[in-house]
Amino acid sequence: MRFGHKYAFLLPGLLVLIAILIFPILFTVRLSLSGWNSYNPNLDFVGIKNYIRLFTSDARFWEAFFRLSFFSFTTVFLQYVLGFGLALLVWKDILFKRFFRVLFLIPMMTTPVIMTVIWKTVFHESLGPVNDLLSYVGVSYNWLSDPVVSKFTVIIVEVWQWTPFMFLLLLAGLLSLPKEAFLAASIDGAGPIRKFIYVTFPLMAPISIGAIIIRLIEASKIMDTIYVLTSGGPGTSTETTSFYIFIKGLREFQFGYAAAMSFTYLIIMIISLTVIVNVLVRVFNGRNS
Amino acid sequence: MKQRLRHYIMPLAVTLGAASTASGDQWSDQFPHIANTGDIAGECSYESMSQKDYSGRTLTINTHAVPVMGEPTALHAESFAALTGATVDVIHTPAGDLYSKAMIPFQAGQAPYDIVFGFSNFIRDWLPYLEPVPEYYVNMRQMQDVTQSHIDVNSWDGQMVQFPIDGDRHYLKYRKDVIDNPEMQAKYLADTGNELRVPQTWKEYAEMASYFNGWDWDNDGELEYGSAEVMKKDDLMYAAFFSRSVAYSKNPRTEGGFFFDLETMEPLINNPGFVEALTDWVEATSYVPPGGINFGLGDEINSFGGGQTLFSFSWDDAFVAAMEDTSPIKNQVGVAPLPGADRVWNRDTGAWDDTYNQAPYIVWGWTAAVAKKSKNHEMAFDYLCFFANDANHQADIAIGRFGVNPFKKSDFVPEIYVERQGWDPQIAQEYSETLLDMEEGSTNRVFPLRVPGVFEFTSAVATGTSKALAGQLSPQEALDEVAAEWEAILDRVGRDNVRDAYAIGVALEDNLR
Amino acid sequence: MRSFYTTLKYLAVTLWTIFVIGPFLWALSTSFKDFNSVTSGAKYIPWAQFEPTLDGWRVLTKTSAQGGVDIIEPFFNSLTVTGLASLISIVLGTLAAYALSRYQFKFGFVKNNDITFFFISQRIMPPVVLALPFFILLSNFGLLDSILGLIIVYIVLLMPIAVWIMVDFFNKVPREIDETALVDGCNPFEAFFQVVLPNSIPGLVVAGMFCLIFGWTDFFFSFFLTFTEVQLLPVRIVALNSSITPWWSLSAAALVSVAPLLLVAFIVERFLSKGNLSGALK
Repeated sequence: MRFGHKYAFLLPGLLVLIAILIFPILFTVRLSLSGWNSYNPNLDFVGIKNYIRLFTSDARFWEAFFRLSFFSFTTVFLQYVLGFGLALLVWKDILFKRFFRVLFLIPMMTTPVIMTVIWKTVFHESLGPVNDLLSYVGVSYNWLSDPVVSKFTVIIVEVWQWTPFMFLLLLAGLLSLPKEAFLAASIDGAGPIRKFIYVTFPLMAPISIGAIIIRLIEASKIMDTIYVLTSGGPGTSTETTSFYIFIKGLREFQFGYAAAMSFTYLIIMIISLTVIVNVLVRVFNGRNS
Repeated sequence: MKQRLRHYIMPLAVTLGAASTASGDQWSDQFPHIANTGDIAGECSYESMSQKDYSGRTLTINTHAVPVMGEPTALHAESFAALTGATVDVIHTPAGDLYSKAMIPFQAGQAPYDIVFGFSNFIRDWLPYLEPVPEYYVNMRQMQDVTQSHIDVNSWDGQMVQFPIDGDRHYLKYRKDVIDNPEMQAKYLADTGNELRVPQTWKEYAEMASYFNGWDWDNDGELEYGSAEVMKKDDLMYAAFFSRSVAYSKNPRTEGGFFFDLETMEPLINNPGFVEALTDWVEATSYVPPGGINFGLGDEINSFGGGQTLFSFSWDDAFVAAMEDTSPIKNQVGVAPLPGADRVWNRDTGAWDDTYNQAPYIVWGWTAAVAKKSKNHEMAFDYLCFFANDANHQADIAIGRFGVNPFKKSDFVPEIYVERQGWDPQIAQEYSETLLDMEEGSTNRVFPLRVPGVFEFTSAVATGTSKALAGQLSPQEALDEVAAEWEAILDRVGRDNVRDAYAIGVALEDNLR
Repeated sequence: MRSFYTTLKYLAVTLWTIFVIGPFLWALSTSFKDFNSVTSGAKYIPWAQFEPTLDGWRVLTKTSAQGGVDIIEPFFNSLTVTGLASLISIVLGTLAAYALSRYQFKFGFVKNNDITFFFISQRIMPPVVLALPFFILLSNFGLLDSILGLIIVYIVLLMPIAVWIMVDFFNKVPREIDETALVDGCNPFEAFFQVVLPNSIPGLVVAGMFCLIFGWTDFFFSFFLTFTEVQLLPVRIVALNSSITPWWSLSAAALVSVAPLLLVAFIVERFLSKGNLSGALK
């Protein structure tokens, strides 16, 4: 009897998604096998030439991919730790609890492409406030133009923007934890740290994995932040895969090649995320047992 | 030079005289924008446009963000609508996206915009989708006032496909209160043994910029620096690099190509001339403001226009910002041609020619064109013609934020800037002469690269030079990488396709017209 | 010891608060500046350090012929598109998430987890290349530059998020709730709408908030798929970013564009604070 119902629940969403996406996805596959560019906007067939070029003679793509991995892991890790910490801070007794909860959500509501312009003015080396305030303690950094420092600038902006995402999901998770588990732990005489390690953290595992995965996906698409802050520079020191694909696609109009890169990226990401999910499940559950 | 200038002044003096009597005519009452001159008779004057009836029709325009180009587009659209009864929809797009925003519909076979604004170096990629400018407009009196080089950058092999609405070039801007200041000159001579003057070579430029870097030479309480340049790896930086390269690499004795050897299509981008320019540029990172290697055009304008640096070179904007009424350095900035070099690479002999060389870079700039698939060709060209009519144009060039700069012969008259914008007469004189000489005087000019897939080539330059500026590669390594990338692009696009297109620009450079 | 912890706690919250509001305060100050106040070094306090002007804000109500960008119409376009697309995504996504949480599916080797991952994997693809096929798709249906066209595209962006979050939430709603309802004679739809859904409102609120945020802040698709009829807020605001970056009016615009979502934040916080989330599990 339940058999028919389950499809009635699942299929409307699934089919709508597939209906909208089927053409763009197939078109992109076909595009990746063509030489479509600025002077040849045709779906001619060039075989796997674009893929060969990508795998044999485009070191820049792979450098960008490793840089992207660095950015994604660092920012998502920081967002998770900070988001969890903040959620714990405003979970229970603290003055102005509700004020802080709203306040901490605000950064993710800003439009990245606009807010990053503000960040660029904040970090502007000679006209912005950061170096101006730091000058009182006698230091200044080239926030946007030093190959190393600019990586941290990108990370700071990403952490500012998206920590609220983790914060909200984890706070919602904390607030829905069953009280019984804590009662039992209290009876055993566990202190706050033991309670966190043995009760809170394992119970938060599913929501944590979900949140980390979705953030990894989003963080890997990082685009506006880099475009506005540094355009991938200085040199190529902040260039990521998504930004590189953007340059090849919408700047140079090598759509065939950009499509091949997108697909390669998609497949690498699906494989990596599958592996990461398994690792995360083990990390979180390992503590439990 | 002087004679030619006078030749242009005569008719304009008449126009100006006529204008002053004409001001307060019926059109300037209705359209206060042209209050200074009133309507000026011509093919696309307010009077002529008011005879047209486009009521019930809609013109759609994709233009730049406000205010640069975007505001005049919208303003003239409003006037055009009032005069002709047409509905004009204008949308605004950031400069970096103008190409793709129009190119996606073009490639998909659509024409959502009747008029697309863009840069003149898009010309080869947009060519298949553009409607050539009809003979009527090409031959009209209003067009005869446009300088030949701006006719050239808007034309493809003799056929005009983009409509000249603005003038662009790269030139040197400097702080007169330093360079022309006897105290500073004495101090500089005492400290360096050299004369402080408008830099004639990039080496002089570097010496002066280094000397005036990092101290408060105008006593405003803030530190000043040597030079503000577009060094951010974006859609504009390669133009700055070419401006620094022309003196070392554009040799009037070796014809047949600046970017490529037209015969073999071998990229010249890694020859010693370009390497020397890039070496200079890497050195320049030591005399730009903090964070200067991440400066885009906007930062350059803020920096030089805000009085932070001694020098700047590139488009008009930084100079115009510095000359705004509210600017603290109004009338303290000078204009000069780009610096030259004491030697120039000769690729025929494979050696340096030890002679002074200077070459104007007729950089690409704003232009507009009509889509081939548009159903409103006549209305669209009328709009563009109206945009650039004498009354609108003269009012536009007086408003700095509009970004409309001289491109008509009648623009190169110092009096306009003195009377309407309160410029110092000497600065206005320098400005007019420098610009006009670049337009019409030199026979050693470089035109922008205009070939199929132009962004692949320029993007490779941006990436390579940016790596050198960041210290990832030496100038030679960086440019070798660019040359290798150019070879790969040539293979993909087809050497002959690129050669056919490049030959058109080389013909202009070699004065074969 | 205890007071040490408390001090530490308040210190951490204070530091983060400064980090969060710092850029907004800077934007607020900058929004009252002009070119000269911006280019003469970092200034913070109006009147004391620079002469404030309202020009940055006025730009937001002027037409482009007056040198501004009128953000009023795009503001409402954004509300419509984001609101409707979020609503549809939440409805479809919630149903699918419920199915994935409660029933077993098996199509060959594809199981529940794979289907859930299929949904979320739609967000992996970099949008750059999709601009072209979406353009062609919408133009074939005459939906370019229309609210409906944008909604269709946004559903693809938003539904995966709704599914991903709601599956987690439904997993935490005890199965006994539906089973009791079924035993009481409800059919599965009644059980879902009358019993499970009311207990999942907090999850819906969180998912809804993410949909609204991702929809409201999207720039890419609305930029390439619209021309003149339908412009959304971010596209219109970016039209301020000319050769001279107007720090002042972009700052004002950034503040304006956050405003409507603040309301959403308050609503979400209400649900969190009232303890509905934990209540759902009783």
